[in-house]
Amino acid sequence: MDYKKIAETVVKKALKLGADEAEAYLENNRKFEVNVRNGNVETVKQSMTKGMGLTVFKDKKLGFSYTSEFSEKALQDFVEKTVQLSQIATPKPWNGLPDLKEGKPVDLDLYDPSISKIENNKKIEIATKVEKIALAYDKRIKNSEGGWFGDAESEVFLVSSKGISRRTKSSAVTFGTGVIAGEGDNMQSGYYGSSKIHFKDLEGIEYVAKEAGKRAVEKLGARPVKTQKVPVVFSRWAAPSFWSGVLSALDGDSVFKKATFMTEYLNKPIASELITLIDNPTIPRHIASTTFDGEGKLAQKNTLIDKGVLKMFIYDTITARKAGVKVNTIAQRYGYKGTPSGSLLNVIVNKGNIKEEDIIKGIDKGFYVKGLRGSGTDVPTGNFSVGASGFWISKGELAFPVDGVTLGGNTLELMKSIELVADNLEIRGGLNSPSFKVSELIVGGQ
Amino acid sequence: MNITFRPIDRRDFIKKSLTGGAVAATLPVWNLFSYSLPLPVHSFLSDTQLGQEELKKLLSIAKQNGGEFAEVYIEHTINNNIGLDEDKISSARRGVDMGVGIRVLHGEKTGYAHSDDLSLDKLKETARVAGLIASGKAKQTDFDLKKQKIPSYYMVKTSPDSIVPAEKAKLLWKANSTARDYNKSISQVYVSYSDSNTEITIANSEGLLVNDIQTLTRLIVFVSALEKGKRSSGYAYKGGTLGYEHYNLKLAAELAEEAGRMAVAMLPAEDAPAGEYPIVMAKGECGTFFHEAIGHSLEGDGARKKTTCFWDKKGEMIATEIVSLADDGTIPGARGSINVDDEGTPGQKNILIRDGKCQGFLYDKLNAKLMKTKSTGSGRRQSYQHYPIPRMTNTYLMAGKDDPEDILKSVKKGIYISQIGGGNVSPTTGRFVFSVPEGYLIENGKITSPLKGIQLMGNGPDVLKNITMVGPDLEISGGGTCGKDGQSKPVSDGNPTLKVSKITIGGAKVRG
Repeated sequence: MDYKKIAETVVKKALKLGADEAEAYLENNRKFEVNVRNGNVETVKQSMTKGMGLTVFKDKKLGFSYTSEFSEKALQDFVEKTVQLSQIATPKPWNGLPDLKEGKPVDLDLYDPSISKIENNKKIEIATKVEKIALAYDKRIKNSEGGWFGDAESEVFLVSSKGISRRTKSSAVTFGTGVIAGEGDNMQSGYYGSSKIHFKDLEGIEYVAKEAGKRAVEKLGARPVKTQKVPVVFSRWAAPSFWSGVLSALDGDSVFKKATFMTEYLNKPIASELITLIDNPTIPRHIASTTFDGEGKLAQKNTLIDKGVLKMFIYDTITARKAGVKVNTIAQRYGYKGTPSGSLLNVIVNKGNIKEEDIIKGIDKGFYVKGLRGSGTDVPTGNFSVGASGFWISKGELAFPVDGVTLGGNTLELMKSIELVADNLEIRGGLNSPSFKVSELIVGGQ
Repeated sequence: MNITFRPIDRRDFIKKSLTGGAVAATLPVWNLFSYSLPLPVHSFLSDTQLGQEELKKLLSIAKQNGGEFAEVYIEHTINNNIGLDEDKISSARRGVDMGVGIRVLHGEKTGYAHSDDLSLDKLKETARVAGLIASGKAKQTDFDLKKQKIPSYYMVKTSPDSIVPAEKAKLLWKANSTARDYNKSISQVYVSYSDSNTEITIANSEGLLVNDIQTLTRLIVFVSALEKGKRSSGYAYKGGTLGYEHYNLKLAAELAEEAGRMAVAMLPAEDAPAGEYPIVMAKGECGTFFHEAIGHSLEGDGARKKTTCFWDKKGEMIATEIVSLADDGTIPGARGSINVDDEGTPGQKNILIRDGKCQGFLYDKLNAKLMKTKSTGSGRRQSYQHYPIPRMTNTYLMAGKDDPEDILKSVKKGIYISQIGGGNVSPTTGRFVFSVPEGYLIENGKITSPLKGIQLMGNGPDVLKNITMVGPDLEISGGGTCGKDGQSKPVSDGNPTLKVSKITIGGAKVRG
């Protein structure tokens, strides 16, 4: 099928049916995954999916539909219903497609053609091997959640009545394993995986397996501690979850509605001077990079927090127009089933210059957080409260595993009390942060 | 496992006092069957030219490599959604999903392939790929398909897809104006209406052929209140396997008032204390807790793989004697109800814990076969793009005998949980965290000041042993959407008033 042509036809049809503006976003995906458990193949799954989302504006009213049915009859119905839907919406002066410059997308090397040529046997071998090594990591590992390997290719077309026509092709490949340590009432699971654009960039099988094994074993015997106020280290594993809560409070539309505690803080200090947070989706070969964002805008770098000072909120085209602000918009689109919305693409918190182990060495009594359950930040109030697990720090060393405690406080106070930022930044996913130390926080337990 | 959003319906639309034990038996038969579908919507699947002969052909291709079991799952879904925000209809959306998933089972192995191209050639290729999981010769290639008759637990007279969007929009406008009039502190109102019509056909190599039309509807109202710099929020909603006849302006107004009540009540809330306290859970609004903290650990995949905390506990006491837990896919109109699961097995009521003793697990076909037992009608999948896994339907703590007033009076200092919000649970350890959007302090047996930032923490097995009182006032709530292994599925849950003698509360205030 000529997908570009289908997208163009749908846009033309929408205009013909009375739409003032129309945009079609079409995806064509291939996905393969294999799961093994205890050395045997458990599932093999192959997916071929396509789908298209259509956004129309008529008299400043928005209508949206999607379909995975591409027959001529279905597409006709699809466009008609979308234009009809726009009629019940309330007109808004800020509605309309973004004004984009055509520009030339930078090649970020986001497609690995070799992925589609990997033999299934090779994939099964990797999934089997990573599980096997993880199971052998420690005697206390008694069970497996399995090993997996998956690969995917995706082709995206974005065509708008404002003259934008974009196409991108990307790939992704992943493998990993989950194992369970302990028995009876004391079981702990540990997962680890690696996800990259290029097959060659994947972390080693041995490394991934051992990380999974380590994670299960190190949690054995975890227990809560008594409620107390102590210095807390957010490890680079727990920190991304914390920052995701902070970022949800920076949503431009929530600011417009005064529904976030960050509303009044633009160009004011919100965190320790040690904190600089950027969005950079232009790193070549990185899994969270993209040539254009959800609205078709060519990807670029933005600084949100500069040495502790809040520099911008997160807007898409429509929320920015509505708030009447002139800013760099950043939008994500989560597949063809929805419209884009303001969201960062690849978040990086800049690293500091102290080793994590030296941070720990400097703490007499404290808590090293490895996992958070949720992000903890309540957007309207800025209250911070979250379940946590990790290790108790005693006399500069990790003494014993801790689970079943909460961390509580205020998000702004927490960010301002960041005393040290470690040098252990690693860019692995869409939210990347080094470990950092907070001077004091309530650890709630027994 | 985690849930991003699981509000609970305060309008107990299924107000039946489902007293401990025999729900199905106490409901008159006419009640179960009076809503059988007159097939109000056009059958989209009949357009696909996939008749019995074609289905048989696909099954035999799927089995040609010697696979033990083959299945074809055809789906056509239409969903509609309208949202109102800031006094405006902010979104009007429609979606169509259509496709076929073909599955082959061979021993413990599953081969799955799916296609959204319904031409017979493409489907034959899809069947061939799914069959590659096995290697060998076909054992049987010819079967009779027998169309199954099924009961209906859905309460649908008017298909929501037959109602024009402008009519549905009236519900949203009514809820919006009512909420704004409720109290001058109400600063934001968001209303959302959504419905879906899913038509499925399932055929398998055991000869099963079944067709079902599943309708889901939901109306939800969120409000924010703002007064003297203090903020709070509230919500209320109705949802279920319900036809459009269950929605009207009066209902929209009631939901708006309830959402307003909650937000206004929570405005003066103070930081919750951190530490260990007894809690009382309000009826109907806290079932999510049992779904997440207990139910997931009783799903058959985890039991087979020995990865959940209860895998070896069948027949053992895992709770106090007053605790019984059920998962029931046959409650008329409830959001998790199913005429058949996504493997064609009829929905049923399963007792998971009876008088404290673990009775067994929820199974799909594959896990049941490997555990030498039968499917419990729990094989569910998000769409044709997914293979089925064991899932809950409507999960609830069964009624007990303690007077709800006595339950409250028995607590000197503790926390009253009006509703449970989002949660996160590890089925391996049973360890959980839940947020509490509406909660209060209990002092000397009385509900006193509202609290914010309450987090319930602990693990499922411990909580089961600390449930010391259970009331008779069971209510099933509207439910929400549960996520597991990347698949979302509609569910509901319920509970009577109950007491947990101690649980860890995470809050911003250190106990003074």
